[in-house]
Amino acid sequence: MAQVALTIDGLGVDFGGFKAVNNVSLTVEDGELRVLLGANGAGKTTLMDLVSGKTKSTEGRVFLHDTDITNWEEHKIARAGVGRKFQIPSVFKDLTVRRNLEVASCRNPKVLGNLRFGFSKESERDVDRVLDLIGLTEESNRLAAYLSHGQTQWLELGLLITQNPKVILLDEPTAGMTQAETQKTSQIVNSLKGKHTLVVVEHDMAFVREIAERITVLHLGQVLAEGNVEQIETDPKVRAAYLGSRGIL
Amino acid sequence: MSAKSRSVIVIYLAFFALIMCAPLILDPFWLNRIAKYLVFGMLGVAVALSWGYAGILNLGQGLFFGAGAYMLAMSLKLASTTSLQQGSDKPVPDFMLWNAEPGAPTELCCINKASFLWLPFQYQWFGVAMGLLVPVVIATIIGAIVFRKRISGVFVSIITLALVLLVRLIVIDAQPVTNGFNGLTDLGWFKVGGLEFDPYIVPTYYFVAVALCLVLTAARLLVETRAGLILQAIRDDQNRARYLGFDVTVYQTFFFAVSAGVAGLAGMFYVVVSEFASPTFMDLTFSITMVVWAAVGGRSSILGACIGAIVINMISATVSETQGFAEAWKVIIGLIFVLVVLYLPRGFAGLAHDFVDRLLTGHKAGSRRTAGVSDASQLAE
Repeated sequence: MAQVALTIDGLGVDFGGFKAVNNVSLTVEDGELRVLLGANGAGKTTLMDLVSGKTKSTEGRVFLHDTDITNWEEHKIARAGVGRKFQIPSVFKDLTVRRNLEVASCRNPKVLGNLRFGFSKESERDVDRVLDLIGLTEESNRLAAYLSHGQTQWLELGLLITQNPKVILLDEPTAGMTQAETQKTSQIVNSLKGKHTLVVVEHDMAFVREIAERITVLHLGQVLAEGNVEQIETDPKVRAAYLGSRGIL
Repeated sequence: MSAKSRSVIVIYLAFFALIMCAPLILDPFWLNRIAKYLVFGMLGVAVALSWGYAGILNLGQGLFFGAGAYMLAMSLKLASTTSLQQGSDKPVPDFMLWNAEPGAPTELCCINKASFLWLPFQYQWFGVAMGLLVPVVIATIIGAIVFRKRISGVFVSIITLALVLLVRLIVIDAQPVTNGFNGLTDLGWFKVGGLEFDPYIVPTYYFVAVALCLVLTAARLLVETRAGLILQAIRDDQNRARYLGFDVTVYQTFFFAVSAGVAGLAGMFYVVVSEFASPTFMDLTFSITMVVWAAVGGRSSILGACIGAIVINMISATVSETQGFAEAWKVIIGLIFVLVVLYLPRGFAGLAHDFVDRLLTGHKAGSRRTAGVSDASQLAE
């Protein structure tokens, strides 16, 4: 049996009486790709915020392998091995694409330890490999500010791949993308399967079918159902709560 | 090494050569003036570090400049001849006597309640050490609190602005130890070994010029390090950097403190060449003027901000002394600022940057020009 990479145990947060996430428990195995589905306000992004440390939980625990990372500071959770991509693509706009990735390749977080020039050969090789994977080799000397929306999304994915965390949280990686761009994104995401444990929030069902193994459906801050694509598509509770009577497309 | 970094080195060396040649053509009066402007150039470096590279617009840089200036001025005050002629065998600042209570002993230890603070400043190098330490420690404390609380943007500016005014008030109010509004005047000369730095001699100019060259080189190298790159990443997107595992607070505080240290150093050099320290260093207008220098020169260019400071001061000195412009020079400086902000958001350094890129790409025009287009030329297109 595969090892469990990420354990969420009874996690919840109370925003002054409103429970955006309420008693959510789920385990994601090493190398698994888990999709989180749910309507707007179901608590998907909040759940990611709780795991990555952006929001402090008021109940429950989060474990990365055997380490309890509940409510750690963001950069400590990141160093422990959880990477995150935001819904609104965020990259370092005034740096070139290559420099963006170099920042992510930096293994030493300390200021004084970084008072030196250049990056290791290994680090540069990583950057080259990732540039190739996200298809931005040609753009490597452009400022990130001049990339298209899709390219910016890929660059942020590239940052995560370079950072090389055990668990990667992706919040709507195809938001605002054309079909062709979505296609390429699913290739990138598929290439990460096995090497990383992935948790993906996504609305685009075509994309979900392309990448998903297991799906967890959230509804009103709670886990509604869990299973593979077929099980979820035919689950009456899911149909009623989220997909509507017509099903998923 | 790329053609780009080679041209940067050439430009820096040209600037160094230029300021080193100034004594060949200038008389002592102008030389002293230019030395002051070089000190302002050093302040420009401090502003570029915190504003351009860390994205922290500090409207209270005068606090660090003033702190550095006062620390050294205290030592130099005690080294002046008047301080030795107050009827004690140990130096006592003249202003302390003017305000002393009747019957107070003419001793630094106890002429007034707080005068003992001056005791260690009898050693010039204590003053120098404090001139660096005080700004760095203050900046570290401010940074640790402000950046830990994730305060950013205009709110940092407001806090720093309020702080410099607060400290200015305290300095004026602590008249018995600071001489209040009048500041510290009638100072002795700075001494290194047997050499006395009379502000109007050529070695003093070189002292300042060499220091500026070293500060410029060090600052430029600092932003070229990995830490410098990470700092720029933090400037562009704090959260992204945080989720890549960097402790944003530590980076911001570190560079804020470095910038404060450079400003403190500038404050000390200013005291050496101008022979006074006064609360005007902590005036709001002065701190804002520094920001204008950096904006005009180019805030994201260390050398640009430095040259901006020097050139604007030279222009304002020349214009303000020209008949007919005596009143209008502030309008002219203001106009330059408005025009630069409107049409050259990256300052004159941005313009120079583009120009160098044109030259370099023009140079390789024969070869293919696909990838490898440098960042600034993209901006120009």
